[in-house]
Amino acid sequence: MYAIQAQDVSKTYKNGVRALDHVSLNVRKGEIFSLLGQNGAGKSTLIRILTTYLKPDLGLVQILGKNLSMKAARIRPKIACVGQQTSIDTYLSLEENMMFQSRLYRIPKTQAKLRMEKLIQDFGLQSYRKYPVSSYSGGIKRRLDIALNMMSAPEILFLDEPTVGMDIQSRMAMWDMLKKIRNDFGTTIFLTTHYLEEADILSNTVCIMKDGKEVTQGTPEELRSFIRQDALRILFPTKAEAEKQMVFLQSVFPASQMTVRNTDIMMNTEDVRSDLERTAGFLLEAHIPFYGIQIVQPTLEDVFLRLTKKKEMGEEK
Amino acid sequence: MSTATIFYRNVKWRFHNAFTIVITILQPLLWLVLYSTVAEGTMAGTGIENYTAFIFPGLIVLVSFSASSSNGIMNYLMKADGSFYRVLIAPVRRSSIVLGQLLEAVCCTFVEVGIMTVISLLFFVNVLPNFPSLLLMVLLVALTAFFMAGISYSVSLVLPNEVLYETVMNAIVLPIFFLSSALFPADGLQGILKTIIYLNPFTHVINALRSVIFYGTIDFRTVAPVAVLFLLLGVGSFSWALYCLKKETRL
Repeated sequence: MYAIQAQDVSKTYKNGVRALDHVSLNVRKGEIFSLLGQNGAGKSTLIRILTTYLKPDLGLVQILGKNLSMKAARIRPKIACVGQQTSIDTYLSLEENMMFQSRLYRIPKTQAKLRMEKLIQDFGLQSYRKYPVSSYSGGIKRRLDIALNMMSAPEILFLDEPTVGMDIQSRMAMWDMLKKIRNDFGTTIFLTTHYLEEADILSNTVCIMKDGKEVTQGTPEELRSFIRQDALRILFPTKAEAEKQMVFLQSVFPASQMTVRNTDIMMNTEDVRSDLERTAGFLLEAHIPFYGIQIVQPTLEDVFLRLTKKKEMGEEK
Repeated sequence: MSTATIFYRNVKWRFHNAFTIVITILQPLLWLVLYSTVAEGTMAGTGIENYTAFIFPGLIVLVSFSASSSNGIMNYLMKADGSFYRVLIAPVRRSSIVLGQLLEAVCCTFVEVGIMTVISLLFFVNVLPNFPSLLLMVLLVALTAFFMAGISYSVSLVLPNEVLYETVMNAIVLPIFFLSSALFPADGLQGILKTIIYLNPFTHVINALRSVIFYGTIDFRTVAPVAVLFLLLGVGSFSWALYCLKKETRL
């Protein structure tokens, strides 16, 4: 059973920017679905459409089996969205913020109070109750934002780049929180991110987007299997050296696809063993200074780079 | 239900930012306390016995302008770091959102008019002659504030930022205020200026308030058309605000 089904969704803004171009995706109930893409890929536009804020120009969207264009009012009680910016009202107290949300969703007061207490407990907000919301750190504000969006017990929780700008500890705490929401509350989570690691760790399904189009969709394992062959990683002292040598290596191995990542060259090969020997031999013979060479398994980042690059090349043709 | 929720949230914002009440009432108070005292001597020749009471209706309108403008600014702040987007995707009717927003401006206007009334009493100016007059005054003030709040909320939804909003609101409010009978009687005027002043709907609400407050007379033939006019204008500004809010989701 799908929580979200989108078919050929397109959206062009009045200024002519085509944000979405025939995007199709399916989100199963109870899963964490990550929409992965660079800035400007169309992630936020898609989330705004799925949360009934924007209307698509074309395409069919079904949320929990209901047509989004025709039944938006019936979909709204079942969804909630945590935007890129926190949406808490800083002039209201923590409890007032949560009760305001419950009144928007017409939750009976007694039930709302019980739910609020549980969420405050579950999200570790007890010690912040007595402090003004405006004094909270960014991470706590974000936590409260998610907690108050859970007040309506949504069947689908949308999160638009929930960990952007967070330090690694806060991000890890957020990942635990999202897993808890999925496991304990059974909520379907639809999140956008441009952190590959986040999508890899959290998601049941990942959809990669580029320039308003979906490039591929699958489990992180399925996506990794798109690149069946292993890759060679050649380690250089500096990024500049890696970039310089990539031009040289590309002329020697024109069939191999190469990218520079930090101070390394990632080289995709058809036959990793023979290419390892050939490359190492060539580097040594040409006296090119390198720290090492190794065979590596593809990561989600490799998949992302490969697929988005492939799409660019396809467009150029 | 939802209207009350939005209204309550906005009232909380207003009291949290109580300085907005002080700032918006400051200018009308200066007019009431300083200008009326200074101009009283000059205006004595026109037959106006109590100039402070004479300009009080105009200052009520000025207060409603200020409170409504401030309500529009609140909208920008909520868009920037508040619950604007969250409310729009909640199961709340757009009309309830608009109504809750406008009613807060009406409420704020009443608070400020109350403060001005108390201050005018300190100057021995009784602006509340009798209970029926008070009821009529409440009706006219509510209709005026509701209309103005609808205009300012719509403008805040149309214009992209606070700076443009403030500029446009000043360009609207000041000419409307000065080209009305707020500060002087319009009866003796001639030509184009008279036409402009009588085309200004606020001239009529000020005159109606003045007849109620200043003279203590309740002439329904004067008050009823003004109330109907502002009821229609209020419906119009509410509809415009509703249209603008719905348009927010049709980018």
